[in-house]
Amino acid sequence: MRRLKIYSLVAAMAMISSCQKSLLYPTPTTQISDISAFDTPERIFGQVYGLYGQLKDGNFFGERYQIYNEVRGEEFINLKGNAFTALQTWNFSVNSNAQEVENLWSSAYKTINATNVFLDGMTAKGNTIVDAATADNYTGEAKFIRGLSFYSLLQLYARPYWDNPTTNPGLVIYLEGNKNPASYQKARSTVADSYKQALSDLDSAENLLPESYEDNSKGQNTTRATKGAAIAIKTRVYLSMGNYDQVIAEANKIVSPAAPFQSSAGLALVANIKDAFASINTTENIFSLPFTSADVDAPGTQNSFAEYFLPSSLGGKAEYSLNASGIVAEATWGASDARRDFVTISGGSPYLIKFSTPSPYTDWAPIIRYSEVLLNLAEALVRKNNTVNAQAVALLSAVRHRSDPSVTYTTASFASATALLDAILLERRIEFLGEGLRGPDITRQGIAFPAKGAASSTAPTSPNYIWPMSADELNQNKLAVPN
Amino acid sequence: MHMKKLLVLVAFVLTLASQVLAQNNRTVTGKIIDETGVPLAGVTVAIPGTRTGTVTNATGLFSLNIPEGTKAVKVSFIGYESQTVSLTDASDITIKIKPDNKSLSEVVVVGYGTQKRVEITGSIGTVKGTAIAQQPVQSFDGALGGRVAGVQITVPNGVVNNPPVFRIRGTNSISLSSYPLIVIDGVVSFTGDIGSTAAPTNPLAGINPNDIESIDIAKDAAATSIYGSRGANGVVFVTTKKGKQGKAKVTYSGWVGEAQAQRLPKLLNAQQYVDNKNLGIAHAAADGKNLGTSFAINEDKNGNPINTNWLDVVYRKAVSHSHAISISGANDKTTYYMSAGFTDQQGILRRNEFVRKNILFNIDQKVGSILTIGGKISYANEKNLSANSSGSLEGEAFNSGGLARLAFLTGPNVSPYLNDGSYNVDGGVIGTMGNVGVQSGIYNPQVILDLDRSNSINNHIQSSIYAQLRPFSWVTLRTQYGIDQNHIDNELYENPISGDASPTAEAINATGIYNRWVWDNTIQFDKSFGKHSFSLLGGTEEEKSTKELFGIDRTGQNDPLFNNVEGGWQTTNPISSPVNTYNYLVSEFGRLNYNYAEKYFISANLRRDGNSNLGKNAKYGNFYGLSAGWTVSNENFWSHSSLGKTLNDLKLKASYGKVGNASISDFKSFSFYGSKLYNGDPTLYYSQAGNDYLTWETSKQLNIGLSFGLFDSRLHGEFNWYRNNVDGLILFVPMPPSAGVPTTIPKNIGSMYNTGEEIALGATIINHKNFTWNSDFNISFNRNKITNLYDGATQIISQTSGLESVSVQKVGDPIGMIFVTRTAGVDPANGKRIFVAADGQKFEFSLYGGGDGLANKWMTTDGKTTTRSVSGADAVAYKKTNPTFFGGWDNTFRYKSFELGILATFQAGNYVYYGTNAGLKDQRYWNNSTDVLHAWNTPNQKTDVPRVVYGDNISNGSSFPLDVNVFKGDFIKLRSVTLAYYLPGNVLTSTHLSSVKLYVSSNNLGIWTKYPGPDPEVSSNGNNPGLQGIDRNTLANGRTLTFGLNVGF
Repeated sequence: MRRLKIYSLVAAMAMISSCQKSLLYPTPTTQISDISAFDTPERIFGQVYGLYGQLKDGNFFGERYQIYNEVRGEEFINLKGNAFTALQTWNFSVNSNAQEVENLWSSAYKTINATNVFLDGMTAKGNTIVDAATADNYTGEAKFIRGLSFYSLLQLYARPYWDNPTTNPGLVIYLEGNKNPASYQKARSTVADSYKQALSDLDSAENLLPESYEDNSKGQNTTRATKGAAIAIKTRVYLSMGNYDQVIAEANKIVSPAAPFQSSAGLALVANIKDAFASINTTENIFSLPFTSADVDAPGTQNSFAEYFLPSSLGGKAEYSLNASGIVAEATWGASDARRDFVTISGGSPYLIKFSTPSPYTDWAPIIRYSEVLLNLAEALVRKNNTVNAQAVALLSAVRHRSDPSVTYTTASFASATALLDAILLERRIEFLGEGLRGPDITRQGIAFPAKGAASSTAPTSPNYIWPMSADELNQNKLAVPN
Repeated sequence: MHMKKLLVLVAFVLTLASQVLAQNNRTVTGKIIDETGVPLAGVTVAIPGTRTGTVTNATGLFSLNIPEGTKAVKVSFIGYESQTVSLTDASDITIKIKPDNKSLSEVVVVGYGTQKRVEITGSIGTVKGTAIAQQPVQSFDGALGGRVAGVQITVPNGVVNNPPVFRIRGTNSISLSSYPLIVIDGVVSFTGDIGSTAAPTNPLAGINPNDIESIDIAKDAAATSIYGSRGANGVVFVTTKKGKQGKAKVTYSGWVGEAQAQRLPKLLNAQQYVDNKNLGIAHAAADGKNLGTSFAINEDKNGNPINTNWLDVVYRKAVSHSHAISISGANDKTTYYMSAGFTDQQGILRRNEFVRKNILFNIDQKVGSILTIGGKISYANEKNLSANSSGSLEGEAFNSGGLARLAFLTGPNVSPYLNDGSYNVDGGVIGTMGNVGVQSGIYNPQVILDLDRSNSINNHIQSSIYAQLRPFSWVTLRTQYGIDQNHIDNELYENPISGDASPTAEAINATGIYNRWVWDNTIQFDKSFGKHSFSLLGGTEEEKSTKELFGIDRTGQNDPLFNNVEGGWQTTNPISSPVNTYNYLVSEFGRLNYNYAEKYFISANLRRDGNSNLGKNAKYGNFYGLSAGWTVSNENFWSHSSLGKTLNDLKLKASYGKVGNASISDFKSFSFYGSKLYNGDPTLYYSQAGNDYLTWETSKQLNIGLSFGLFDSRLHGEFNWYRNNVDGLILFVPMPPSAGVPTTIPKNIGSMYNTGEEIALGATIINHKNFTWNSDFNISFNRNKITNLYDGATQIISQTSGLESVSVQKVGDPIGMIFVTRTAGVDPANGKRIFVAADGQKFEFSLYGGGDGLANKWMTTDGKTTTRSVSGADAVAYKKTNPTFFGGWDNTFRYKSFELGILATFQAGNYVYYGTNAGLKDQRYWNNSTDVLHAWNTPNQKTDVPRVVYGDNISNGSSFPLDVNVFKGDFIKLRSVTLAYYLPGNVLTSTHLSSVKLYVSSNNLGIWTKYPGPDPEVSSNGNNPGLQGIDRNTLANGRTLTFGLNVGF
């Protein structure tokens, strides 16, 4: 009896350790293993949206990238003195280890690597899971995102294109996915080569992307890359490079020769500019990043336009007011201009209320609007010919007249090409106020960042004219050079 | 077979009885008391060489019928020296027994069993439950400081139920936990902060310290290798109380006390603040920068100037009390212990509170002659309450709403309330009142303290059941199944008026479930052949631990009334980081102990572990420990020598073994895609990069030691030398951001060592009838050095709260060096801070010093403009944060019925980065310490505080950390002082009580240190191994005073 007890116990003990060995190899229930990420069309499609999700990371296009570029310009006054809401970017005192310098660099490259990992995965498996047209579409979207990311990084971390692009350092360029523990030492390509890669991606995207999406029920023509979006971004890229012929060539693909300006796919200005911000799915919103109130779909804390720019009375954090002596003081910006409605006075200071949804700040982030393409084209036409170009005037007038019907420009309105150019540049400040174009507009022109409030002017020769290289990058990548 | 045994027993008893009856008997009565005169219950009084005996009752009295001619009785009691007392003709005797210093009979918990202390060849320290039972702590670990050599406890701040920094023999990991494995009654406990709110939730608070019998701390591989892959940080065995032989014993113990913050910084008052800020503004103007801002004294509704002491708004005098009753006893068959406790301990931070209701029931029952079954039920309801972030937990240091920082940062010229009685708030931050163009602070702490909630309520069950079979006297089979279940309700509310959730408000309710079951089966053989004694243990164990965290997060409060998630809100989201993971361990283990004549000892431990968290190609590992001991004093040549008469006890021992650390988070070795939303539609994104070859860190440990006793062990001690070589340290190897890998990938790549010496001495210094002085002293020396990180890396920079790069892990240096930029004082000529660049060149900084009104001017020390600047990139590994030595000195003085206990702890050789001090000198709107009153103001003035310029946050160290905020952390502390009075026996007899103890006690009564912050024992980064010695915006520690009462019925 007793012996039986012992034997049964010993036998039980021996068995126990072989009972649940499968538990040693878990199948998690909340994340998908990389092995099976390309197994179904749904997962692949989810990954495409995941790439957009990376792009709209708070530290990148959702929406710190635009905010940094905006507050580098002269239109905003920092009110909070908080280094975490771009104080040092605003007053040009960032170090290489400033959080914005490191975080944006890191976020953008996570986006870029995600596109690379995705493109590798499509080649390895995905292309056999979805049909060829879909695979092309997805590939085009990934390349669009990568090209836009490369271009955007150049605006902050590299000297402008006019400054020795073939020698000045640009970006670290990877076109293959990085997944393994490795050292990843790689030198920065030149500015010229970096622009070349961005354009190559956008060219490829243009070829692969559709004009529009069958399903536009949630504004997919705006929230997903289209052929028009790739072209529109290229007008921006070429303008930054001072390659006006190409700006014109690209813009002409989506801008009709005469008013009303529109593209064959239906891109056009909306009648009322407020509609481009209130209802996001318009013909003008070529590409925007959407936000919803769900936590994982909303901009995080201290990331959104509305949080930075809205006065507290309207639910913002009033990080920045508008600069009373900036563009809002511009006498030629008429009081009846609809865009004046984007400015409100609170506590005696002007504030931008273009992005007006209070927390969780679900305004969509406009990445490129049709009016930018028109003004890009107008500027390129003037700069290329150095004349009071009639089409340029018409394009400018289309943008101004839309918001201020009392103004219609003719060639007679401008005494010289310079006057027309100044008007176009002024129009950009009014039209894109708060949307993140001001920084690149200043650097591509090679003019100084004007002083504002307690922040002083920064000359194009100043090392602070661009951001320093990320200290993280310099520490980990011994081949990377500082700016 | 049973029948036969019973018959034999009956026959034996009858024979014995007849013998007894045949003799001429008399009755001896008496009383057993301890050294202080307290009667002892349950003491065995027996006639030597016979089975006749009895035990004392609750008042220490016994009555024993003895045969004629009996010359003596033997008195024995666990923990006390046995005595044989000669009998006189007197029939009523009083016998005083004294505690057993040699503890020859003491047993030590060693994992899956116990062992006699004299047979131990590993390194194990023991703390008796009585030492910590009445400490005003939330969990026992916080009270272990200074009590055992090699064990360092750092209470990080005054937030209640915050797990202390617990280190055994130095820091043995960089990325993983360095917290030891805690085994409570055979079940491994969860550790750390398992809550998800600003009120930390240490699961060890589930045990009432009053219910602990003993804590055995295993320090070397010989002692820890039975826990194999989890032994590298040491193993702490906690044993809860069981009943003792004798009649049921009922006790009450309780205390009430108060705590107060100590050594808070001295801040500027309103007038000083306004003057200093306006001086900074004037200096900026003198430098060519007209800021257009000003500070002003404001008036309250009675027209008096506002002068708010924000420290008083945030801190309080905290009141705590604790009560426990227990019922325990045992007979031949049944042992039981039941207790119930209630404690309510306020923190010195307003609204911070810990409330525990707990019940514990231990029972062991013999069934027949060979089977014992028993178990334990422990339930605790632990409420961890806080208004909101104190800014003191890991990751919180720079929280905008960190209450400890708001207490010193907020301008004293503004008040919590406006003169109309409403909150002083403007746009979510504190209103500026009369200040022009500047802030006066961040959030209004009064609003947060009044309205917010950040609570974690843990319903905690720790239970086990076992069956033990001893079919033969030398075979023991045992199976035990235990659970540790923590069901935590994390409940948060943030107001819409002022704080992180302003203006929408936010409510979160998240349920955290930390469940573990463990099943172990062992077989043990104990057998002696002549002088050869063997003990062989074999066993298996399975353990599964699951973690879940889920809940909802609501924003957009529909009405101020709705301050919980169930109310009306505009948005509903899941919490941002839900968790659903598990860890599974499957193990086989064995242990062989052998000794010859109690002189030569050998012990071997072996364990094989499989662990689900590791890479799929590296799941299994083998661990071992070998040790040997030689009790020299048991040799005839020694015990008969004259030296042997003095040095009565001498034992040499050595051990070597390999143990591991696999406390990596669940699923970290995997590559994953996570899922979020894009415009409300599902996404998949590359979220985690894994490593199929990820395995445990291994620690190879060598220990050589000796223990000794002098003068009949009146002076005894132990010395140990050890070296732990840790290899395969898991490092999250940073990659260039340009690689774009979503997460750093863990790799087994680093190595470091800890080596040190431990000395523990104990002595009965004075042993008079009415006065005794017992003293225990320990001191530990530890040297840590990182010997390898990863390819090409000589250092890893670590950040406090993800922002301040102030710690560095550097090859050739100890872990957690303070990483700061050097300075060279303040230039007496112009009051500018002199900074030292990495290359040694000196530069001076002034915010607007160029005279052109431009910001951030760097100049050479001879006044030339330069394009160079100094920044965090010029930081150097400056000072170590590990102490050179630390220890404790515990004294117990007894005079008649009085007892005075004094525990002092000390450490030296470490430095602390007092980051708070940067904030205290920040020249933005922040309030400052009174140090700024001696800021530079005239040429040739020698001072260490630079000229104040409004807006300057570089000269003080806010922008990047500076050496001026690094201070020595040496200290001596009166950790615990207790004066107790025991009611004398005659009083007790008349009151029918068996014992009454009254005491008054203080924790942190005194501290001697040159550290300028509140307490050099501090951690802004919790238990994080590489980020110790950082004091950044942390809540101070409290000094407590308690009055207590223990009654035995």
